[in-house]
Amino acid sequence: MIVTKQKDIQEIVNQIEKFNSFFLIGCSECATLCGTGSEETILQLKEWIESQHKKVTGWFIAKTGCQILGTKKELNQYKKAIDEAQCILVLSCGAGTQTITEFFDSKPVIPLNDTLFIGNMRRFREFEEKCRACGECYLIFTGVCVVTLCPKSMLNGPCGGYRDGKCEVNQKMKCAWITAYNILEKRGLVDSFYDGLLGPKDWSKSNSPRYIEKEK
Amino acid sequence: MTNLKKKLMEGEIVFTVEMTPPKGPDVTSIVEKLKELKFLTDAVNFTDNPSAKMRMCSMSACKISLDLGFEPVLQMSCRDRNRIAIQSDLLGAHALGIRNLLVMTGDHPIWGDHKEAKAVYDIDSSILIKLVNNLNNGLDINGNKLNGKTDFFIGAVVNPNVDPLLPQLKRFEQKLKMGAQFFQTQMIFELEKLERFMDFANKFNNIKIIVGIIIIKTKKMLHFIAEKIPGVVVPQWLIDKVNALSDKDVEKFGIEFASNMILSIIDKSLAHGFHIMAISKVEDVKNLLSFIKIKKE
Repeated sequence: MIVTKQKDIQEIVNQIEKFNSFFLIGCSECATLCGTGSEETILQLKEWIESQHKKVTGWFIAKTGCQILGTKKELNQYKKAIDEAQCILVLSCGAGTQTITEFFDSKPVIPLNDTLFIGNMRRFREFEEKCRACGECYLIFTGVCVVTLCPKSMLNGPCGGYRDGKCEVNQKMKCAWITAYNILEKRGLVDSFYDGLLGPKDWSKSNSPRYIEKEK
Repeated sequence: MTNLKKKLMEGEIVFTVEMTPPKGPDVTSIVEKLKELKFLTDAVNFTDNPSAKMRMCSMSACKISLDLGFEPVLQMSCRDRNRIAIQSDLLGAHALGIRNLLVMTGDHPIWGDHKEAKAVYDIDSSILIKLVNNLNNGLDINGNKLNGKTDFFIGAVVNPNVDPLLPQLKRFEQKLKMGAQFFQTQMIFELEKLERFMDFANKFNNIKIIVGIIIIKTKKMLHFIAEKIPGVVVPQWLIDKVNALSDKDVEKFGIEFASNMILSIIDKSLAHGFHIMAISKVEDVKNLLSFIKIKKE
């Protein structure tokens, strides 16, 4: 999922202080799992805005905020409430926010979340980064993504900085390459892996912005 | 052929010394040190923004040293340059007469004084060794033909202190396969760890190992090394021993400890050279080398 985090409250206050009426949009996918765009979060935000003597003209939770046409269709029924609002507050990832921006080029669309990473939930609302969307997946070799989990994106084994199997950069984390090496060992692939050299990586596959056309 | 390469190939024990280029434009202090050090050691390594702390580039410091008649080792990491910049800098270094290299992946910016900097790590050190090997064969990393071949003596790093060791050994083997011609170890405090590594390394022909040595000067320095230098493991018994000494005795102990380490390594034929790291004064190198000489006699 796309992991998001609500912006610092002071930053939110600064962004919205000049407005008096708001329409709120959440997302039922990743942002709901992260607790940054769920119904509960939206209602808490509504209550807080109203406590500041400001008005919430309406709110809704997009089914999938990054699905442009679907979200556009869902928004139709909120046209009046949106027209009444001076700005729209979006509680989703950056992609979802940009869906909304596409529909309202003159009305301010304000993101209330920062988009952090692609990751997994280990326990309730505890997230781990897992993928950098680099466009060239090596998981078949290493089992865990060393491009993402190694701060140096080492492709061929650990650097010399790990201590007791822990990462030099974040000593709370296991060195990604110690995990990857154990996987190679358990699969009996150490020798075949080290027969060659992984990389150099084709970073052009992650040159932004990327676009995929529908295959004909 | 560089003097360092010649000596290593002929089986002579080499001594190199580590210098950190200045934090600022003034080179007076390193010039003064180099003028003395050139009579003491075989070569001088210039670090590449060590611990990710911004300093003058290694290449310029190497050129200053060359002009003073002292053979340099250019250290280059993958942290701050992509493959284009690395190749371009290496060709430039070659044009300036720099031949000895020590390549590494490099400490992460999180350790340095520019923590907000974007870490590059376009390639890792195994790939970097292959890249230099390509340059030595007249090719760039993509196999495009160059207008000539470089003549670099390729050094790589290895850390015998780490636990678990096996993944480190596999990388050592891979670096060797990619074309590393000599290795420099992380600083060594425990002979057994070096022996454990050399048991593996000796399986390969013609390997040349230069062991990292540090002269402990103060308690504070040892604590800093133990806590802040990535990949360094200082045994607790050594910390306790140094803690129990008076400040004055620490300095004496530091020279004795380093020279005893060097002599034991020579006795056991565990290395082909020594690299004296993190020196603060030329005097320390002088003291260490004369201590070794006296003890040997």
